[in-house]
Amino acid sequence: MKLIFTLTVCFISLSVFSQTIKGKVTDSKTGEPLVGASVQVEGGKTKLITTVNLDGSYTFRNLAAGKYELKIKFVGYSTTKEFSVVLKNDHDNAVQNMEMKEESMQLAEVRVTGKGGKESDAAVRGLEKNAEILENVLSQKTIQLLPDITVANALQRVSGVSIERSSSGEGRYAIIRGMDERYNNTLVNGIKIPSPDAKYRYVPMDMFPSDMLERLEVIKSLTPSMEADAVGGTMNLVMKSAPQRFIFNANLGTGFSTLFSQSRPFSEFQHSAVNTKSPAEISGNSYVATQADFSKGNLNFTNQDLPLNATAGLTIGGRVMKNKLGIILSASYQNIFRGSNSDLLVPNAQPQVVGTLNNQSVISDLYLRKYSTQTTRWGLHNKFDYVINSSNKISLYNMYVHMNEFQTRSTYDSVYLNKLSDNYMRSRTQLQSIYSSTLQGDHTLSDLFRLNWIASFSIAKSDVPDMAEYDYQSAVTPGSFIVQKNSRIWQHNTDQDVSGYLNMFYTPKIAGTPVEFNFGGMYRNKTRDNYYNPYSLSPVLTGGLPQYWTNYNNAVYNFSPAGNGAGSITTTNPNTYTSHEDVAAGYLQMKFMLTKKLQILGGARIENTQQGFNTIMPESFAGRYGTVSYTDLLPSVHLKYALTNKQNIRLSYFRSVVRPDFYEIIPTQIIGELFDIKGNDSLKHSQADNIDLRYELFPGGADQLLIGAFYKNIQNPIEYSIVRNGGPSAQFLEPENFGNAVNYGIEMVFTKYFGMFGVSANYTYTKSEITTTKQYFYRDAVLGITSKLVSQTRPLQGQADHIGNLSLLYKNPKIGLDIQVAFVYTGQRIAQVSPYYNLDYYQLGQGILDFSFEKTFGRHFSFYGKVNNLTNTPSRTVILQAPPAGNQFPDQAFSDKTVVGKDIYQINILGGFRYKF
Amino acid sequence: MKKNIFQSAIILSAIAMIGSGCKKWATENLSLAVPVVQVAQPISDAAPLCGAIKGTMLADKTYTINCDVTVNAGDTLFIQPGAHVNVKNKAGLFVLGSLISLGTQADPIWITVDSLQKLKNDAPNQDPSKDPAFSGGWAGIYCGSSCPMLILKWTHVEFGGSGLSITQGALVNQSSGTAFSILFQNSKGIFVMEDSWLYGGVDDPIRISNGKICFMRSTFEKAGIKGGDCLNCKGGTVGDMAYNLFVGVATNGQKASNKGQPVGAQQTNINMWNNTFISCGYRQIQTGRGANINFEEGARGMAYNNLMVNCKFGLRIVNNPAADTANIRYGNNFEYADSLVAANQIYPTNASLSGGWTKPQPTDIPDYTKFLPTSYQPGDTYDGSSVVQKNNPLFYNFPLPVPGNVPLYGIQAVAKYDFRLQAGSPAIGKGYTGLVPIGAVPIDPKYGVTEMTLPGIDIGAFQSNGKGNQHSN
Repeated sequence: MKLIFTLTVCFISLSVFSQTIKGKVTDSKTGEPLVGASVQVEGGKTKLITTVNLDGSYTFRNLAAGKYELKIKFVGYSTTKEFSVVLKNDHDNAVQNMEMKEESMQLAEVRVTGKGGKESDAAVRGLEKNAEILENVLSQKTIQLLPDITVANALQRVSGVSIERSSSGEGRYAIIRGMDERYNNTLVNGIKIPSPDAKYRYVPMDMFPSDMLERLEVIKSLTPSMEADAVGGTMNLVMKSAPQRFIFNANLGTGFSTLFSQSRPFSEFQHSAVNTKSPAEISGNSYVATQADFSKGNLNFTNQDLPLNATAGLTIGGRVMKNKLGIILSASYQNIFRGSNSDLLVPNAQPQVVGTLNNQSVISDLYLRKYSTQTTRWGLHNKFDYVINSSNKISLYNMYVHMNEFQTRSTYDSVYLNKLSDNYMRSRTQLQSIYSSTLQGDHTLSDLFRLNWIASFSIAKSDVPDMAEYDYQSAVTPGSFIVQKNSRIWQHNTDQDVSGYLNMFYTPKIAGTPVEFNFGGMYRNKTRDNYYNPYSLSPVLTGGLPQYWTNYNNAVYNFSPAGNGAGSITTTNPNTYTSHEDVAAGYLQMKFMLTKKLQILGGARIENTQQGFNTIMPESFAGRYGTVSYTDLLPSVHLKYALTNKQNIRLSYFRSVVRPDFYEIIPTQIIGELFDIKGNDSLKHSQADNIDLRYELFPGGADQLLIGAFYKNIQNPIEYSIVRNGGPSAQFLEPENFGNAVNYGIEMVFTKYFGMFGVSANYTYTKSEITTTKQYFYRDAVLGITSKLVSQTRPLQGQADHIGNLSLLYKNPKIGLDIQVAFVYTGQRIAQVSPYYNLDYYQLGQGILDFSFEKTFGRHFSFYGKVNNLTNTPSRTVILQAPPAGNQFPDQAFSDKTVVGKDIYQINILGGFRYKF
Repeated sequence: MKKNIFQSAIILSAIAMIGSGCKKWATENLSLAVPVVQVAQPISDAAPLCGAIKGTMLADKTYTINCDVTVNAGDTLFIQPGAHVNVKNKAGLFVLGSLISLGTQADPIWITVDSLQKLKNDAPNQDPSKDPAFSGGWAGIYCGSSCPMLILKWTHVEFGGSGLSITQGALVNQSSGTAFSILFQNSKGIFVMEDSWLYGGVDDPIRISNGKICFMRSTFEKAGIKGGDCLNCKGGTVGDMAYNLFVGVATNGQKASNKGQPVGAQQTNINMWNNTFISCGYRQIQTGRGANINFEEGARGMAYNNLMVNCKFGLRIVNNPAADTANIRYGNNFEYADSLVAANQIYPTNASLSGGWTKPQPTDIPDYTKFLPTSYQPGDTYDGSSVVQKNNPLFYNFPLPVPGNVPLYGIQAVAKYDFRLQAGSPAIGKGYTGLVPIGAVPIDPKYGVTEMTLPGIDIGAFQSNGKGNQHSN
């Protein structure tokens, strides 16, 4: 009603008067615009209210001459004073800028670190500008408006970041400045968290619902006080913390994927039929399993035409006990049905010599796959901070995120030129969780001395119980089929961190200049265990001949030989291992202003790593257990020169490390997706020298312009190369160190608001080079068809030359409408490095267009909508080899490359309501 | 026209032989002359064997292997004629050094499982899931990549393939559950199986990951329960296979593939001549698989004078991933089929999902011009009814068509059959004798092949002149 009233008044006034009052509303301390604050103008009979725009501006037009009082209201702020303006005559335009004070500044004189209120765009601009390091930050408000509902997808909006997607098209891992997930780490509130991944250290970023975040920081240069295992960057998820005023936010949404319909339904299986434990776990390793030990329900599938998604979120927070105790509780729930249709041309495991053409990838199979994935995410977190007195504060933070994935995968495998087809159905359940608890204390010991300690416990788990697949194959008689193998795999792993941090700050004045000394250390004990138990059943020959297929329930399987059903055979494989890692670190850094404009931050960090593993291999096996230790000295220096109070030039250098993944140093051969992988006990960890130069302009509001360049030299990068050790037909990949790699590029970020319209764009150009050994097949005069190892220089896996984002925003605070159209482009990049010369898999460049909006109703309600992948952009993978003449492969569009993969995800639509108190 | 093709083929083969075969034959002899062999030490039969052993198992003694036995790298285990080795507890023989088993015709060696041997039942049409032949009584003979020499002469190897434990697998770099009967995996090592027998098995009875090989005059029965190629040669395997008899093997009798070839190794190249295959390829759960001779993925070689009776498919040259078809020569192969289904796959068809691309040869028996249409292209479906039960090869004791109600797949073992050719057999005198062996192993009574029997004038493993396979009943 009020809205309509305001609009009406404006409209009526329009034809009569032409005087204007305008100005900006800012934070008295930081100068940040207070977007959304309400401004009231009152004079005579006129009383109007408007809302502050994105750039901090407000305007009242068409006022009659006279005296006006201006009042501002904004949550958490008080007016510095009352303003009055006198409009003398026609066409008089008054400019009145107004400042407001943050209330908390007056309430307590304690330093409340990590307090609420940093959720706006403008606030994070301040963070970026004032940070000692290079970082890009997405604010809560930005995240909320994004078309994305997971942190992984939100990451792709950050400058220099692209994402790798899972089989359902959901982003999973971030590639930062061309450096894939191996080179990046993930923090929650500044504390490293372990990964539930079975093989890797890096954390699947789709586990985190984005509405849990206060902001998302991507930090691209490291100071000595930070964990040193990032080369591309550090992703820091800053979770919501207790606000100054009571808040109660809730949201509820639903949606669907246009992939699913009656003709392409969502396929699901009975979740309760999944046996959480394997026969060996139930009955012991000496028990010999038979078909009767395996559930059938998880290989019986039913269809849903259009399953509906559900999302919900709840946040309650505030301060009690005279503002001494801050509490925030937040819960998030998502139940999402997604999927993809995937065409995959599968090359034969090893290249061939075809006529006179050497090293040709020959397609042996075409897989037509359909994925139906139900993802259920739970996120819970709470934070309590207690201000003991003006010098002491403690806080407790708990986070639990849980993601269940139930996936049906159907594969029609047509074996080329053979008319032979296999039909696979697979059900896969994965339960993943991360729990992290942090107790933190901040103590001001004197004017010069401050101390901060953190004790943290985290555990990440993944459980894949009974991943089951059957296969039936076309028989000679058309329309009839023969039973093939049936596999059941149980796999689970945990990764647990116990860590302690101590940071001390000492700020004396040296030669009249305050110098901040920051020193401290960290110790983390990590333990990890992996369990892998695969069962492979094959059909019983009935009457001496293969069995015809009717359905899974009728198929009869056994183990061959029967003893292969025993846990003593199935559980004893190198994928079952434990490992541990202790990292002890100490650092010293100092920060001071060398001149009025030049800030220097520099120092060094020492990290000592002790890594060890224990396998189930027998005594006769060399390297069945082992340890490795090393110490790194990691200097860094960061210069920040303030050209003006809105412009900085930064130059930084830091040295960082990348540790091998746990299994990579274990010299056993573990089962991989395409190739088995054999660990390498002589693998060294990687080190990197990183240099950054950046120019920054923060003209005010949410606007910014960043132009930067980076150069990275990575020593002993870990890459996979093919190895055959004496010739079992199974070839395998081995992680190895390959000399040096370089990675460099330029990065630009531009954000500008024009009143209610905004443009936000970023672009990153990256170039990287690494030389590794690859196998090349050719015909030799003496040996016949044979192969040799050759060197090949290529970009790093995942590095696209060009990545960029372009978002157009419309924000009208008056009517409470926000609209965003977001386009993200990822250029051609290596999706999978091939062990063979010139046969790497490239993902073609692709642009994805998303749309979102939010409209408020009254003070508390809003309605929002998010539409992903508006243009239904497919993901296409190619090898750089011409398709064979006369091929009948689908999806071909090039004469010089073969499209070997095409994934279609269709459009995802989500809509819902938000309530804010 | 056909004559011209035939002539060109012969000329080409001759050139190939002169260019490669003959030359290698000479050089290989010289380069492989000095195997390092340990001085023999007698091994006692007083107690069961367990752990690392070396030396000599003495003639006519009976040994029991109770738990895993290894021959360490650099060591050699000799077995003298008539020795009997009984393996218990699913143990295995892990050979990181050399194993030289030298039986004689009069006094062969046995490596077997006594308890299963008593249960042998070789009457036709046994249920494979109950037949002890396929039950995997012991692990088998597993050679590591350091094994320079595996020699089996007049030796019976039976009931292998129990599935490796992790401890066993770790010795030879195999994953647990692997169920071969014999594994060889050294591209520079030699593997000779001469006048020997292999009975039963689970997966591939003999897997050659790579190596220099010679299989002469040996007999293979009931090999593989529901899949598994009897002699499965992978990338980097070079040598000869001749005068072998295969009865009722699960998939292929002799397979050559270049898959998994080690870097810098020789291309898989195997010459196969004068082998006999009876009722092979039926115990395979995958459609389109199973033949007597298979050339696959990048492999080359020759196949002449082979006799194939009632097999699921005829000679199969696979086209995706393609064998090195430009360098494969074949001809003078003899096919017999009791049933129309088998006759229709003498040349494997696309319709049977075989992926076979075998080109009919003018020297083939039966004469393909009599039953293939003139427009025939490899892989085409054709009507083989005119050759069903024609050209009976006239074995000494294996009546054809198979009498009684025994299905073709019911013939699984040699039993009382005798696959020598009667006088008047249409297979007599039809062989091609111009083929030159590859000769990858030396000729030697102990450290190589004793007799490299050259291609014979009669098709099949048994020659009218008494040469060839000596295992007739």
